Amino acid sequence: MINNKARNTQSALQRVRDRKGSLGFMILPVVLLAGLGTGCATQTQASAMAAGAEVTSGPPPLAPLGPPPIPLDNKQSPEKIELGKLLFFDVRLGGDASTGCSTCHEPTQGWAWAEDFSRGYPGTVHWRNSQTIINSAYYPRLFWAGSSSSLENQARAAARGGVAGNGENDIMEARLALIPEYVTRFRDVFGTEWPLIRDAWRAISAYERTLVQRDTPLDKYLQGDKSALTEQQVRGKKLYEGKAGCIQCHNGAMATDFSYYNIGVPPNRRWEEDGLAQVTFRFEQYAKGQTEEGYRKAKSDWGFYYRTKNKWDRGKFRTPSLRYTMYTAPYMHNGVFYTMEEVVDFYNRGGLDEEGRTTPFPENKSKFIRPLGLTGEEKEDLIAFIEAFSGEEILVSPPELPNYAPLFTKQELMEAKK
Amino acid sequence: MGVQLSTRRGLLAVALGAVLAAPVVIAADIGPLPALKYDKAKAELGKRLFFDVRLSGDAAIACSTCHDPANGFSSPTALSKGYPGNGHFRNAPSVINAGHKKVWLHDGRIGTSLNDVTREMITEDYIMNMDMRIMQERLKQDPVYVKMFKDAGYGEPSNGKVRKAIPEYLMSLTSKNVPFDKGTMSAEAKRGMKLFTGKAGCVQCHNGPLFTDQKAHNTGVPENFDVFLNPMNHQAFLAFAMFQGIENYMNLKRDPGYYNVTTDKADMGKFITPSLRELKYTAPYMHNGMLETLDDVVAFYNNGGGEDSNKSSLLKPLGLSKSERGDLVAFLLSLSGDPLTGAEYVWQEPYPEEYEAIANWRKVRN
Ligand code: HEC
Ligand code: HEC
Ligand code: HEC
Ligand code: HEC
Repeated sequence: MINNKARNTQSALQRVRDRKGSLGFMILPVVLLAGLGTGCATQTQASAMAAGAEVTSGPPPLAPLGPPPIPLDNKQSPEKIELGKLLFFDVRLGGDASTGCSTCHEPTQGWAWAEDFSRGYPGTVHWRNSQTIINSAYYPRLFWAGSSSSLENQARAAARGGVAGNGENDIMEARLALIPEYVTRFRDVFGTEWPLIRDAWRAISAYERTLVQRDTPLDKYLQGDKSALTEQQVRGKKLYEGKAGCIQCHNGAMATDFSYYNIGVPPNRRWEEDGLAQVTFRFEQYAKGQTEEGYRKAKSDWGFYYRTKNKWDRGKFRTPSLRYTMYTAPYMHNGVFYTMEEVVDFYNRGGLDEEGRTTPFPENKSKFIRPLGLTGEEKEDLIAFIEAFSGEEILVSPPELPNYAPLFTKQELMEAKK
Repeated sequence: MGVQLSTRRGLLAVALGAVLAAPVVIAADIGPLPALKYDKAKAELGKRLFFDVRLSGDAAIACSTCHDPANGFSSPTALSKGYPGNGHFRNAPSVINAGHKKVWLHDGRIGTSLNDVTREMITEDYIMNMDMRIMQERLKQDPVYVKMFKDAGYGEPSNGKVRKAIPEYLMSLTSKNVPFDKGTMSAEAKRGMKLFTGKAGCVQCHNGPLFTDQKAHNTGVPENFDVFLNPMNHQAFLAFAMFQGIENYMNLKRDPGYYNVTTDKADMGKFITPSLRELKYTAPYMHNGMLETLDDVVAFYNNGGGEDSNKSSLLKPLGLSKSERGDLVAFLLSLSGDPLTGAEYVWQEPYPEEYEAIANWRKVRN
């Protein structure tokens, strides 16, 4: 929203980094309105779906995953994808050239980070669990609370966020310009004389659109290969679609309705014990546009509320896909559950953890979340079925990255007129 | 004097020098520097902040990393360090006596207050790259700061108060026990002072108790090619130029200096006249550290400055003899006081290694 490069109108004396210098609670009416708009739409969508689920035809069935949608203004090409891969693994696309996309989306950790809270930019810790990149191409909105509307915007936000990449556009663009191989590759792919940072996000997005998995046992089963699931998994599928009710939200080809619910996930205890996590917690209240009072009293992640500012959206998060979850523990927006057993026990208790903790906003909890009465065997069947959402682990070795080189020769510098 | 003037070049120099020396009409207004008023508790807080790496984005560098007390609060290398991951394209000037100035940074792009300079240092991506909202929360997490902010009358730690406390500390960094101020200069230095205000013409620009007119001049200091040959430095330069909106920045092969502020081509390569106090500690010299010693600086001026199509007409070869050059250096050194390296100026207690958790977190207000 804020153009850090706002150059023309301001005098040199006034040019300061607005984002980094600003401190104040955002009560911008524009933001509020935009938020409300989205909120209403989603609310209606959600209730329509709820009504549908309970009264008429039922939620969309699970389905094999098709190819990911490709935006018209960012078509795929092999050269773009290759460039995007380099950039995804290049830590120079971050503040101190130590933290790139792959740092927190580590292929050997499910293209995510295997701790409850993601690691942060050096000197920080994140406040949410790192999400997998695999299949992120299918989400209409990105992040746990859906705050980003495309992979392109998401990459930009990730590289710049204070506890993520903490990089500013100008220095990142300057770095790209000093890496000759990038200059050539950007020119070939985007036709610009010098690399533009927004094209870096486009190339990364193109690469991310190749990180999809469409050949899981479930995909094969749904395409007619009845041997792709074990008997136990078939029993689990029945529970999923029936008694356990998972299908009400985790439905369709991505096993998500892309809607927002409060399912009762309790706050992460780490905020009570870990000073560094407390620092980030308070920062995020600012960054997410809390009111002064909200900043003072928040003790958990209010999720979808930050976008809509509606009380009833507190503690709601986007239904995540269940694909590839075999590799992405821990689970939930704050990583409170380390195993699928814990997740299923949580649902079975009706959205309570083993100590009986739940969301601080129980009034917002989805009516779909209630004690399920699953037996031990049924829980095992369900877990076995959830494994069918994951195929082989997707591993790639990090590419060799191109080096910096000086832009001018000494001769050219000596000849420059003074 | 005649002894040294055996070469043709020397003779010429003296002739020009004489021409120059004669019409110098600028009245020397040099004299002792008054101390600045500051609040002890606020300055003490500012001191702790100045040396605290938690004020940078990745908690790796402090103000003092570049403004090194052992080097008169300036950078000992020609080009300053930068934020980790990049270098820098200028020398970090001493912050001693910065509280006396009206314009800051080599190109003079800040003319408002030290509060604004502090913000620039903290938030600029190639300097400390700090999101001040994170900084504020880090400080609120340190009980020592919570108490110090309160004791200083600032209430709870905040970004705005950091930008007040650090300038307060900078006010405490002024020249102490300077021979020139105390009138205890050596005979050599006294002779140098005559040259400074007379034949050498230095006072035309280095005037007033700070020995600067705080205006921009082009002295023709050569470019430091390391800015452009080392991609680490060059990327900081490019980021700066992009952010400042300097056109055609990819092709720039020189530091535009004051041109950045006025966008008037005539200001290309001009830099703000620096103070001449505390030079004893602050080598190397000039905006890009191109001159290593004061002897080099005086030799530079003796040659009439460097080469630049835009060079100030006030600079002409001076024809100073070797002993005159020595006198001038002695005078420059007499403008330096005690080193500000003791506990009064340098924070010496350790900082906590971790952020202590706030107890009873669920119950207390954030
Ligand atoms: C410091 C760690 C960190 C870095 C660096 C980082 N991410 Fe993330 N990423 C996360 C976390 C944590 C989340 C969830 C954040 C949230 O919901 O607020 C996330 C979410 C995402 C998502 C959303 C997936 C979904 O299901 O909605 C995508 C896509 C993504 N990151 C891509 C990137 C790209 C591209 C980069 C590099 C430009 C990057 N990330 C850099 C930690 C990181
Ligand atoms: C009311 C809608 C809803 C229902 C019903 C539901 N879920 Fe979820 N599920 C969600 C939401 C929303 C989240 C994210 C919650 C959060 O992070 O706070 C989630 C998260 C998960 C996760 C964690 C995924 C990850 O990547 O961290 C798993 C696993 C999961 N659900 C499995 C199930 C199973 C199994 C069932 C049936 C027993 C089920 N869900 C029923 C909405 C639902
Ligand atoms: C990474 C190195 C670095 C760090 C860290 C740094 N500075 Fe600087 N500082 C510089 C450089 C280089 C300049 C000159 C910049 C220019 O002219 O563009 C400068 C200029 C200044 C000036 C102007 C001096 C004058 O006479 O014009 C002040 C005051 C100052 N810094 C204070 C601070 C404070 C306070 C901090 C900590 C909040 C700080 N600096 C951190 C490198 C640094
Ligand atoms: C035309 C105005 C002008 C005159 C005359 C002048 N100077 Fe300077 N001086 C400057 C400027 C401007 C700079 C900074 C140049 C730069 O950084 O590129 C400077 C820099 C210096 C420095 C370096 C200080 C530092 O901290 O890096 C010293 C020392 C110095 N001058 C001494 C002298 C002496 C001695 C004389 C007389 C022989 C003199 N100057 C004459 C304008 C002048």
